[in-house]
Amino acid sequence: MAHDSDDTPDNLVTVRDLHYAIDTRVIYKGVDIDIARGRITAIMGPSGTGKTTLLRLISGQWRAMSGSVDFDGQRIAKLSQRQLFTLRKRMGMLFQSGALLTDLSVYNNVAFPLREHTRLPERLIRDIVLMKLEAVGLRGARDLFPAQLSGGMARRVALARAIALDPEMIMYDEPFAGQDPISMGVLLRLIRRLNDVLGLTSIVVSHDVKETLGIADYVYVISDGEVIDHGTPDEIRNSSSDWVQQFIQASADGPVPFHYAGTSYAKDLLGAEPR
Amino acid sequence: MSMLRAGAFDVSERATTSELIAFETESGTPVVQLSGDWGRAIRPPSAAHVADTLDVGGQSRVVVDGAALDNAHPRVAAFVHALGDALTQDNVSLDTRDLPDDISALIALASPTPAAPERPRRPGLLARVGRRAGAQASVARNTANLVGQAMALTPALVSGRAQTRWRDFVELVRETGAASLPVVTVVNILIGAVLGFIGAVQLQTFGAGMYLADLVGIASAREMAAIMTAFIMAGRIGATFAAHLATMESNEEIDALRMIGVSPFEFLALPRLAALSLMMPLLFLYGATLAIAGGMIVAHIVLGTPPVAFVERLQDAMSLSEFVIGFVKSIAFGVLIALTSCYIGLNAGRNAAEVGRAATRTVVVCIIGIISIDAVAALCTNALGI
Ligand SMILES: Nc1ncnc2c1ncn2[C@@H]1O[C@H](COP(=O)(O)OP(=O)(O)O)[C@@H](O)[C@H]1O
Ligand SMILES: [Mg+2]
Repeated sequence: MAHDSDDTPDNLVTVRDLHYAIDTRVIYKGVDIDIARGRITAIMGPSGTGKTTLLRLISGQWRAMSGSVDFDGQRIAKLSQRQLFTLRKRMGMLFQSGALLTDLSVYNNVAFPLREHTRLPERLIRDIVLMKLEAVGLRGARDLFPAQLSGGMARRVALARAIALDPEMIMYDEPFAGQDPISMGVLLRLIRRLNDVLGLTSIVVSHDVKETLGIADYVYVISDGEVIDHGTPDEIRNSSSDWVQQFIQASADGPVPFHYAGTSYAKDLLGAEPR
Repeated sequence: MSMLRAGAFDVSERATTSELIAFETESGTPVVQLSGDWGRAIRPPSAAHVADTLDVGGQSRVVVDGAALDNAHPRVAAFVHALGDALTQDNVSLDTRDLPDDISALIALASPTPAAPERPRRPGLLARVGRRAGAQASVARNTANLVGQAMALTPALVSGRAQTRWRDFVELVRETGAASLPVVTVVNILIGAVLGFIGAVQLQTFGAGMYLADLVGIASAREMAAIMTAFIMAGRIGATFAAHLATMESNEEIDALRMIGVSPFEFLALPRLAALSLMMPLLFLYGATLAIAGGMIVAHIVLGTPPVAFVERLQDAMSLSEFVIGFVKSIAFGVLIALTSCYIGLNAGRNAAEVGRAATRTVVVCIIGIISIDAVAALCTNALGI
């Protein structure tokens, strides 16, 4: 699984030999990941493996302990706070929970980044906001507040906000979690369309196998701080790794034991052994 | 076939050990014969005991035969499973023969549980002290960072260049100022009245009742109004700010702000800092006036001092510096409450319980901080002779 495309200009983000730990818990022990420009790259893995952590490392909210994360040739760890804020205008991120500002209406949430970072007249801001809301199909919901939105709608508003400043890259954190089938279909089509029409680079972090393999151009499967396999969705489906097969077929037992380590069930249940 | 030494087992009235288990050899391989109804035994044979006493005779295999069992009692499964575990440690394998199907299934279900990993050892004392110290250092660094940011951004705030939301600011001024008036009013009037009452009783015994105005005026302006108002604000506003920011943190709103490229400090903490450090001294002036009024009422009721005489005495006794001291302290209290609540709120953990904890911690830290600042101020003013 060698990376044959090291540092080619086609990669917007390159992660090399990344190590990261939270307190004493090791999250990454040396991973290499390339995010190709203009494509949808998926990062898959079970909950708690550190997918959200990876997005935080790429956006510079956290810093790697060793190894490097480069965005468009700039080393994230070396940037000052100010440079980071500038760089983040080129990235959008869709948070797991939507993360809309609860005190602001849908309209003002989408307008927020524009008001912060541009000196556009209000009339122009209005046009842009309505355009972005139209793109996610929620122009009619502009006067609602976050508390009045369903989960799927909140995620789409957050998406409109994430693309308000026309970023080059957008990161989706578990976009499919907790969506009903219709919202799911809407979101899948949106992610694909935004990527292709706006020429974005997308990173989709998810544990929903079917949806993710259906939408991604390239897939990384991570577990236990390492990249287990990577390739096109077809390559992943035909992966020779037992672990990947267990993960994508959602079988309960396999290389990853269903049981959390502990004493034997019989002993626990029966207590027949004298203590 | 020869009987092997079976060891001594408890004998029960209902099912004796010898009815349940017997030991034989078949062409050298030890065989453990299970029989009877294990459910009837008061104390079934112990696998550990059997494993210890069983004479394996140098064989690498032991067979358990269940053909003579009356029924499939789960105790049998536990026994076989535990015996297997115990024998494995001596590199002896356990085979089963003619066990009831239910027992075999139960043993199979129990088997794949991996062994529990060793708990990480508790780090040594030195390591723990070091880690604690490191954590304290990081709190100190964060605090310094916060204060530094506040100072660096203050000119920006004053000149209006900051990204501060003025709409938010106006709302915050209303919340901290106008909305706090009722409770500030009640508490300060009562504090002034209590001071007046205690003072009146004591001063009367010396025939010095006319000095009540000095006592109430100086105590209110220098100390009581500033401190009581600060306590009220710590409980009312500090807790609210901390809970609000902690909720935003757990909703990932703070992360979203950072990703949008907006400093959460500028956007959230700065307006709160501005609102509190503006409103605290104003609330203090209001509170001190009411406390003195409370004392004046008590003076009129208890000592019969007419309000005009009280005010005249007040003008003689008090200098402007008494109010200035309380005023300056109030600004410090406002800054303290705003920074503490924002610091704790922005650094809260990501779940609902943390929201409540952030609010509580803010109130506790603020109360200690207010008293500490007040003590230092008392020392300084004393040294300076003010
Ligand atoms: N702020 C934090 N403090 C402590 N542990 C954390 C923190 N954030 C995440 N973790 C831990 O790091 C691991 C990886 O988390 P995360 O990246 O959110 O996983 P994923 O998104 O793949 O589900 C989890 O086990 C989580 O408990
Ligand atoms: Mg996550």
